[in-house]
Amino acid sequence: MGTNNEISLLSRLNTGLSRNTLRLRVISVLLSLIAVVAVFSFTTQNFLTLQNLKIIAFNASLLTIVACAEAIVVITRNLDVSVGSIIGLAGFAAAKFAAANQHSGLAIVAVAVAIGLVLGLLNGLAVAYGRVPSIVATLGTLAIFRGVTFIIGRGIEVPSGNLPRWMIKGADATVLGLPVVVLLAVAVVAVLAFLLRSVPIFRRVYAVGSNPGAAVFYGLRANRVVLFAFAVCGALVGFASFLYISRVGTITVNLGRDWEMMALAAVVLGGVSTTGGSGNIVGVFFGALILSSIDNGLVLAHAPEFWRRFIQGFAIVGAITLDAGIERRIQALFRHKKG
Amino acid sequence: MNTTAHDRLGIVGIAKSFGPVQAVKTVSFGVKAGSVHALVGENGAGKSTLVKIVTGMQRPDSGRILLDGKACGFETPLDARQRGITAVYQDPKLFPHLDVAENIFMGFHPRTRLLTVDRKRMYDDAARRLGELGVDIDPRSLLAGRSVAEIQFVEIVRAMCADLKLLILDEPTASLTPSEADRLFAVVHSLKKRGVSIIFISHRLEEIGRIADEVTVMRDGEHIVTAPAAEMSEAAMVRYMVGRELKSLFVERSSKPAGAPVLEVKGLGLPGVFEDVSFTVRAGEIVGLAGLVGAGRTEIAEAIFGVRPPASGTVAIDGAVVVPKSPAQMLREGIAYIPENRDDNGLVVELGIASNICLPVLGRLGAAGLISHASETRFAAPFAEDFEIKAPSLDSAVASLSGGNRQKVVLAKWLATEPKILILDEPTHGIDVGTKSQVHQRISDLVSAGYPILLISSDLPEILGMCDRILVVAHGRIVAEFARDEATQEKIMTAASRIRTTEEVSADGN
Repeated sequence: MGTNNEISLLSRLNTGLSRNTLRLRVISVLLSLIAVVAVFSFTTQNFLTLQNLKIIAFNASLLTIVACAEAIVVITRNLDVSVGSIIGLAGFAAAKFAAANQHSGLAIVAVAVAIGLVLGLLNGLAVAYGRVPSIVATLGTLAIFRGVTFIIGRGIEVPSGNLPRWMIKGADATVLGLPVVVLLAVAVVAVLAFLLRSVPIFRRVYAVGSNPGAAVFYGLRANRVVLFAFAVCGALVGFASFLYISRVGTITVNLGRDWEMMALAAVVLGGVSTTGGSGNIVGVFFGALILSSIDNGLVLAHAPEFWRRFIQGFAIVGAITLDAGIERRIQALFRHKKG
Repeated sequence: MNTTAHDRLGIVGIAKSFGPVQAVKTVSFGVKAGSVHALVGENGAGKSTLVKIVTGMQRPDSGRILLDGKACGFETPLDARQRGITAVYQDPKLFPHLDVAENIFMGFHPRTRLLTVDRKRMYDDAARRLGELGVDIDPRSLLAGRSVAEIQFVEIVRAMCADLKLLILDEPTASLTPSEADRLFAVVHSLKKRGVSIIFISHRLEEIGRIADEVTVMRDGEHIVTAPAAEMSEAAMVRYMVGRELKSLFVERSSKPAGAPVLEVKGLGLPGVFEDVSFTVRAGEIVGLAGLVGAGRTEIAEAIFGVRPPASGTVAIDGAVVVPKSPAQMLREGIAYIPENRDDNGLVVELGIASNICLPVLGRLGAAGLISHASETRFAAPFAEDFEIKAPSLDSAVASLSGGNRQKVVLAKWLATEPKILILDEPTHGIDVGTKSQVHQRISDLVSAGYPILLISSDLPEILGMCDRILVVAHGRIVAEFARDEATQEKIMTAASRIRTTEEVSADGN
């Protein structure tokens, strides 16, 4: 490259810069996790015990799955703020189904996933084909899905005692000392990480988020890709809702409330850019771990409940501010260089 | 001129209207296989519409497109691409967050037997294809951070993955340095040798003489002429484009003696970008900043205007020394900086002409802090008239105007601030010949009225034609200064592309 005077020094520097800024972003996620763990290890007594770490992992696992689902949508430069209501509707319906059909086995999982998928498709249709900005569309469906949950619930709860025994047992089951739920979350992360890296349709998810205008010229049908992303998100959230109902004591119509906030916080903490095109699932996993650690630590530190919300909101704004800076850099590098 | 069966691309009676506007009026011509066919015309002549029809982005109202003699109607750009027709546009249609190889193969990744992306093959293929074009780019590097020229090469390599028959380059050299343009021309040559036809759209007529085999001129949606490039002089092209003979591309400038110094820049520096920049601009004088793209000219202007505050040095305006800190401050000091990218930096395209002109002076305009529509129109009208802005009304959205008229709105807007000094960055970039000379006339009027002007331009004839003094910037320093009558294109280019000494290069760590 040394003799290539066409490539200005500036652009060569910039190449290194953009790579490093992205790498830095991933490292910053890890560092914040370490910082959180360090702070709570010193300020509380039982934070860094095997028992407590198990609890954190257990709590983080559900959030991880929902956040991974959310991340796929966010990479396409969209948002899904209805995931909490999808958990509510898919979970509550699946719970009613399970209570009514004690011997239905894995059909319960299928019901939860299918409802999630349908709700995701509805979101996707509104965004990709109805051209409604995703935050508005899913804010609407957040209310709609929750409303439908109320209608089918008629104010009645489903006690976990009414669920098939295998579900209750499964929630506490362990394999080689690790909770099944945690293993499932790790499996979801691993599978999604692989899919997002190596399967063409998932690569298109990145492409559409990176430059929707260019996608047309590449013959990528951006609306299909966006619909796909919302559908995968819905189905995955549906699956999470199944795990959720097998864990909580009583399934109410408020199941999953405020989860969109947590999921979004985990996604942006994990380094997924809200302006689309970049982010990886492993980062999201760490984002979920950070949030769950903070939650757990605050409980151990006897901090008032509202701090949770405060920190989630703060994490979202803080991480997005940081990412906006990085994104400005990337876009600046991509623009025509002038002199 | 009509098409023949031997042509690679036949355009037969293509017409297209948008509402009452006939963008393309029954155009027919042919592009030969393995030839470079220049398509020229003023902005609004119908070139882009024609390109959009050829690439399947728009359907014609009537007429046919023939590819190798066979009729084909493309539904989408992808459809056209798969049949071998691809266009490379000025704004890159690529994905900045992805790496170079993936940008080439997006949509048709090489796959393993398991239908997953075959990364190894993807990088190997990308490297091979880039190599075949003689382009040295790491396929694993992120696209963001590559230069404009490299991004174009990536687009061309991508186009070649399909069996490329016709490549359309839309103003490819607009943002390239001369040596990058040379590299592009080399690529065009190698494509031509492989039998690929190229449609080359450019406002830089001297380039057309260099690389085109044939030239087609369009004007007002009509096909004017198609002829071998060798038989078409630049003057003839301009004549066909504007429909009249331009005496000279540049306005006559009476060189009056310059007045008192208005802008004095002393020892301006910003580490890694530019250093030790000192110059003076006097009343009634145009000082040009020439140099290669990336030399640091825009950065110097932005420093003076406070967009990127300089780390060292001072700026004096009418003798009063100021340290630039922000654009708001420098606006108050009387500097108007008109950036290169009109739409991004200079205009709110959704708003009307009057509103745009009034934007920087809103504070002065209103009564009791409220601004009425009428007061905006009243204020803007004389400016719009003065600048001959062509639009149905002062309320017309700027988005609906042509590039030249937009530039006039920008100029009017900044003059409304009653500046002491004007800094113009590439004021005629991407503007057609006719409007260009109107803009030049306007600039020349301003100077005659006593405004000092700092003009940044990559267009050497423009620099030579307009400026009283020319400063050449290379690697962030002013390396030469020429008076109007001693400057030549050769002298400026030699100074601008001065090879750095070994010490300077090694000091940069490379």
